[in-house]
Amino acid sequence: MISFPSADAWLDYTINGLIVGNIYGLLAIGLALIFGVSHLINFAHGSVYTVGAYIGWAAITYLGTPLPVTMLLVVLGCGLLGIAIERIGLRPLQGSARIAPLLATIGISFVLDQIVQLVFSPDPRGLATDLPDWRIQIGSGTIGPLDLLIAAIGIGSAALLFGFLRFTKLGWAVRATAQDRDAAKQMGIDVDAVNRTVFAIAAALGGLSGLLVGLYYNHIDPGMSFQATLKGVVAQVIGGMGNVPGAIVGSLLLGLTESYGVALFGTSYRNLFAFLLLIIVLVLRPNGLFASRRQAPPEPMTGTFIAPSRPIALPRWLVPGLTLAAIVLPLLVDAPYLLQTLTNAWLYAMLALSLTLVAGTVGQISLGHAGLLAIGAYASALLALRLDLPVGLSIPLAGIVTAALGTLLIWPAFRLRGHYVSIATLGIGEIVALVILNWESLTRGPIGLSGIPPLELPHLPLESTTATYWSALAVLVVLGLLQSRLLKSHLGRTWRAVRDDDIAARAYGVSPDRYKGLAFAVGGFSAGIAGAITAHLYSYINHETFTSQVSILALTMVILGGLGNLVGAVLGAVLLVGLPELFRVTVEFRVLIYGVALLLLIRFRPQGLLGTV
Amino acid sequence: MPIDRRPSFLSRRGFLAIAVVVAGCSGLVPSFADAQTAHASGEPILLGVSGPLTGQNAQYGAQWKAGFDLALDEIDGAGGIKGRPLQYDFEDSQSDPRQSVAIAQKFVADKRIVVEVGDFSSPASMAASPIYQRAGLVQFGFTNSHPDFTKGGDYMWSNSVSQADEQPLLAEYAVKDLGLKRLAVLYLNTDWGRTSKDVFVKTTQDLGATVVATEGYQPDEKDYRSTLVRVREAKPDAIILISYYSDGALIAQQVRTTGIKLPIVAVSSVYSPKFLELGGDAVNGVYTTSNFFPGDPRPEVRNFVEHYQAKYGKEPDAFAARAYDTIILLAQVIRDSGTDRKAIRDGLAKVKDVPSVVFGKVEFDPQTRRVTGAKQTDLVVKDGQFAVWDGTKPVVSN
Repeated sequence: MISFPSADAWLDYTINGLIVGNIYGLLAIGLALIFGVSHLINFAHGSVYTVGAYIGWAAITYLGTPLPVTMLLVVLGCGLLGIAIERIGLRPLQGSARIAPLLATIGISFVLDQIVQLVFSPDPRGLATDLPDWRIQIGSGTIGPLDLLIAAIGIGSAALLFGFLRFTKLGWAVRATAQDRDAAKQMGIDVDAVNRTVFAIAAALGGLSGLLVGLYYNHIDPGMSFQATLKGVVAQVIGGMGNVPGAIVGSLLLGLTESYGVALFGTSYRNLFAFLLLIIVLVLRPNGLFASRRQAPPEPMTGTFIAPSRPIALPRWLVPGLTLAAIVLPLLVDAPYLLQTLTNAWLYAMLALSLTLVAGTVGQISLGHAGLLAIGAYASALLALRLDLPVGLSIPLAGIVTAALGTLLIWPAFRLRGHYVSIATLGIGEIVALVILNWESLTRGPIGLSGIPPLELPHLPLESTTATYWSALAVLVVLGLLQSRLLKSHLGRTWRAVRDDDIAARAYGVSPDRYKGLAFAVGGFSAGIAGAITAHLYSYINHETFTSQVSILALTMVILGGLGNLVGAVLGAVLLVGLPELFRVTVEFRVLIYGVALLLLIRFRPQGLLGTV
Repeated sequence: MPIDRRPSFLSRRGFLAIAVVVAGCSGLVPSFADAQTAHASGEPILLGVSGPLTGQNAQYGAQWKAGFDLALDEIDGAGGIKGRPLQYDFEDSQSDPRQSVAIAQKFVADKRIVVEVGDFSSPASMAASPIYQRAGLVQFGFTNSHPDFTKGGDYMWSNSVSQADEQPLLAEYAVKDLGLKRLAVLYLNTDWGRTSKDVFVKTTQDLGATVVATEGYQPDEKDYRSTLVRVREAKPDAIILISYYSDGALIAQQVRTTGIKLPIVAVSSVYSPKFLELGGDAVNGVYTTSNFFPGDPRPEVRNFVEHYQAKYGKEPDAFAARAYDTIILLAQVIRDSGTDRKAIRDGLAKVKDVPSVVFGKVEFDPQTRRVTGAKQTDLVVKDGQFAVWDGTKPVVSN
């Protein structure tokens, strides 16, 4: 399995790792800058990168601009875009919970990606460079002028930023704002101007990296943003969130790790190594490799991460009434499309219940919930296919397996707080998908599992649309009642105590880790059941069935409904599964409209539709 | 935390205004079913298409549409199906199984839809299969090479080129014709790439060649340098690409910039003008195959290529050809068997000798519900163009 390459090969792997790391670096600097100032993971950064690449393409193709002019246009265009993002998406959300701007950046990235796709078509395009065609031989490979340009811009911009932050007045204002926004304001700093500057610089850098990477690979496409954000975030976490020089070193390390991972185990293990590195760094040095000892511990996120708000009081009859209406619905209308969409919504609602528990009630914002779904789906499918267990047994067993495995996997992240939990869980979710891809003897890898038996209870087939609908609804109601009962018990109070102030909770003799573990076990059970039912509904699953986009969707549902709010989670699921179906008539525009709708909802209800509990 | 009371530049009203404008623009787009200008009159016959128009695979959905529209123009120009125009309802699934199952219910309940086409990825297609099977609506998966796709039931049919069919031909081209003996295989790590790789490796070994390395890469990968070092270390005499055109072009470029001079042989999925555009000089000398070729004397190919160029001003690619073929085939089946859903399924088993760009003539094996015998032309990229391979063997340098 493991192969040990020769000495010259090691040299080549090292150079290749540095070349790729160089590219990640450009992305990570922008992300680090924004995080440093506004404590925000900017999920729209990858989209700005895509926009930059396309501005460059348009300039080269239509105006025939030489490279320096193209770069200037991209910097200007994306700088303005950055200002617009700050203005439209984030400034109106000041003072609301931190989580709201995070969601806003996700919405903005949908909108930007979709606009690029509509304007430039989804086809990939070549982006040819007019740079001279000389290459320097290093090892057995070569590097060209673009490699050097990318390195120069990466290191140069990091140095410039470092100087700017250290030696200029505006730079001081930026750092003051980063340290304490309110104090900075009292000292007369125009915090809005600082934010605007930071977003403009970061977006300009992001756009420039899109252009350079596009030129480098002679390839741009509207779908390239998500992967870019993902790798940029990982790189900057390794270097220390918000640490600009650290971001560059983190990127190079990430590039090297991936390259050595390929060297030792093969290409399909590449990302596995990237995410393992992320988890190891987070566990051992949660502030990044380059955090100095003097640095203050990560800001206690307690109380500030999740907006305190009063949940909307629903009339007592409303939830039972709606549940009853949902139960009798199939008897009243003959609309399989509606029932299927609602079945999907019930399944996502189970996932959202699970996430609203860990993210809302316990304050652990998880971005890896698709991993739990996948574990549940594979567990139930394998139990039914390999051991011939009846489906009625394999589904609850899958819930238990997911509870156990999920808690075990997330255990290392329990000591982390705030954004670090999100990133760690994002990494863990990716690792689950990559293990499924590579553990072929169990999962059949990319071929996937087919012929998964449909839902049934002994002597009672449940495969018809209506029966599936009722089954999913029944499970959802049971899980919802169970969770609501738990939240009212002492356990629920302890969970909220851990969320609101884990130091105070510890002072009262509560062990936060154990309670977080319990929450992930309960949440893992719901998510596992949801995954298991999905597997039997689809009859076929592979490693691509539950992507990280599913995790982001689940988080969006939970935030939209109001963190910790059970009814809100179900409402969020119904809305976010239902809206894209409702917008179907608009064909290619539907994701764009969905993104705009999301932004509007966050703009007007940053605490969630039904409020946090 | 003090609350900022200053009015913000973009007020709630302003924000709403933007939303209204965006929503308003979307109203300008006509739906596909209306967009066809029908020469044939009468009640249209509707095909349901489930595929990606947005999201990661949107580019392939766009190729589908190009192929579909060309075929529909042709069918309607010739008077439609017994005077009725053929049209399609393309629902965007983003290749997401959650959406493809909902679309399946929508199509199944819509009595106007006589047959369903798609989806693109296996997870999205096969998740919807139980719904089509139960309702008795043919699910025609024309890109679904997954060996288990048609095992979903007797309403699952596919004219996708079977990898059990295509890979041995590619292996013969590489081993017998080009004389390559030590192969390094790079494959797209999806169900398609993996199935293809397994068949290819087996056949090349039967033909007496050695596979010295196999490397599976993820669809969103952009950098292959380290993979290529691994390949080089295995000392192959050629690189085999089981790729689509966009990743294939990326790999070919990086093969050249990392100083590897080995010949490259690629599967027919790279046959696209985009492969030449994205690959530039690096794809010169790449050996590949195609189910059709503009110089092909077969009348169905000439017809397809000429009309495609006239309508879109560019060369067709493999995906567009398969999409075009599918509509021509389904139109013929509906013409022969009528618009009843079950009759169409029975008709697929009986259909014979429908002209096809990919297969020459189409006929299904009623047991596997697949078509065999794809045509294959051996090609090589010369001066930035696909050309018929002239029999010259590559000079193997190391």
